Amino acid sequence: MTTMAQSSSSPWALTTRVIVYSAIGAALYAVFNWISFAIQIPGAESVSVRPHYGLLTFFGFTFGPIVGFLTGFVGNVVGDQLTGWGAFTSWHWSLANGAAGLVAGLFPIWMASRMTSVGSKAVTAAVAGVVATLVGFLLVFLGLIVTPEMDFNTILTTEYIPVVIANSIAAAIVTPILVLAWEPISAQLGR
Amino acid sequence: MRAAFAYLGRGSWLAGRDPRSILLAAFFFVLATPQLRDSRHLVAVVALALGYYALAGIPWHAVRRQWAYLLIVIGAVATINALITGGDTGGFRGTELHVLATLPPFGTEITAEGISLIVTQILRFVAIAAVGFPVAYAIAPGDLGPALRQLHLGDRMPVMVDLTVRFIPTLSQEFAETIDAQRVRGFDPLQRGGSPMARLRRLAPIFVPVTVGSLAGAEETIDAMDLRAFGTGKRTWYRRLAMDRGSWAVVAIFLAFLALATYLNVTGQSEHYLLPFLVD
Repeated sequence: MTTMAQSSSSPWALTTRVIVYSAIGAALYAVFNWISFAIQIPGAESVSVRPHYGLLTFFGFTFGPIVGFLTGFVGNVVGDQLTGWGAFTSWHWSLANGAAGLVAGLFPIWMASRMTSVGSKAVTAAVAGVVATLVGFLLVFLGLIVTPEMDFNTILTTEYIPVVIANSIAAAIVTPILVLAWEPISAQLGR
Repeated sequence: MRAAFAYLGRGSWLAGRDPRSILLAAFFFVLATPQLRDSRHLVAVVALALGYYALAGIPWHAVRRQWAYLLIVIGAVATINALITGGDTGGFRGTELHVLATLPPFGTEITAEGISLIVTQILRFVAIAAVGFPVAYAIAPGDLGPALRQLHLGDRMPVMVDLTVRFIPTLSQEFAETIDAQRVRGFDPLQRGGSPMARLRRLAPIFVPVTVGSLAGAEETIDAMDLRAFGTGKRTWYRRLAMDRGSWAVVAIFLAFLALATYLNVTGQSEHYLLPFLVD
C-alpha cells in the first residue's frame, strides 16, 4: 500500500496540513480580532498591545511561511469583515499581517541548525516574531497609494511605529509561550 | 458570544446574483477609488457605493454598530492626519495654506486644505466600506468556496477559505467556554487593571488552551481530508454557480468605473479639491 502522496518537506508545498493549519490560524486570528473589538479584552484597546498578534507569528514560525502568510492575510481580512471595518477597506494592512507571518515562517528554515533544544527554539521564536513584525509591517507604507492624503511621516509616526512597537511586544511574549506549549503536544501527536 | 457571518442580505436583489460578481465588484472598486482625489468625484462614488449597498438589503439595525465604529475610526484617523500634516500634503503640498484657526497649546493649525483632505478621506473610506459590506452579508457563507473556485483560484485556496469560515463559530464558542472554565476556577482573564505585561500574562490561560486545543483537533480534519485523497486529483464541487445578466451588469458597471477612475488619474483630472466655502 502506498501512502501520503502529498507528503512533502518543502516549506512552500500547499499540502492538506498547510491548508487546515492556515484555516485554523486564520479563523483564530479573525475570532480574536473580533473579540478584541466586541468585548475589548484587556490589553487590546485601540492601538495598544494586541496579544492575539502573537498567534500570527506562532503559526508562521511553527507551520511555515505559507501558513504564516495565509493566517495573517485571510485572518485579518475575515476579522476586519467580522468587526464591520470591511474586508477590503484596509487591504494593505491585511497584506502587512500576511507578510509578517511569512517572514516569521522563514526563520526556522534559516536557523534550523541553531534550534537544538526547545529553549533555543522558543528564543528564536521570540526573535523571529519581532523581526517579522519590523519587516512585514513595512507594507503599511502602501498607504501612500491607498490613502493619498497621508504622507510618509504621518504613516511612520501614527501607524508604523506604534503598531510595530505594540505587535513586537505581543510577538516576543506570546510566540515563545505558544511554541513551548505546542512542542510536547506536537511530539505526542507524532508531528 | 458567537462570531459568524450572518447572511443578512438573504432574499435581496444582490444576494440573488452570482457571488463572483460581488467579489469582483469589490476588487475593482478597491483598485479604482484610491485613484480619485477630488471630493466632488468621491461624492458621486459614494452615491454609487450606497446605491449598490442598498441592493444588498442589509437591515440597518443589524449593522449600525459597525457603521458607527467605522465612522468614528475613519473620522479620527482623517482628523489626526490633517492635524499632523496641516493640509500640506497630497495635491496641496507646497501651495499657500488657508489657516482657519490655531489650536493651543502647540499652535496646531487648522487649515481649509486639512479639512478638505478630511472630507476626501472620509468619503473614500465610506465608499469602500459600503461596497465591502455585501461581501460579508450578501454572499451565502457556503457559496464563498465555490465562488473562489470558479474564479480560477484552484481547489486548495477556496477550501482553505471555506474551512476558515466554518471554523469561526466553533472557535468563538471554544473561546467563550475557556473563559467560563477559567472563571469557575476563580481566575478572571478579562479582569482590567495592571501593567500591559501583566495583562498579557493574564491572557495566556485563554490563548494557550484555545490555540493548542484547536490545533490538536485539526488533526481529525487533516486525517479526514487525507482519507478522501484530498489534493491528489481534480476536486469536484457540488455547487455550481452561474452568472446571469444582473451579475454581468454588476461586473460591467464596476469595471467601467475602474476604467474611468484610471483615466481620470492618469490624465490628472482628479486632484485634491479645496472646498470653496472654507476660503470664501
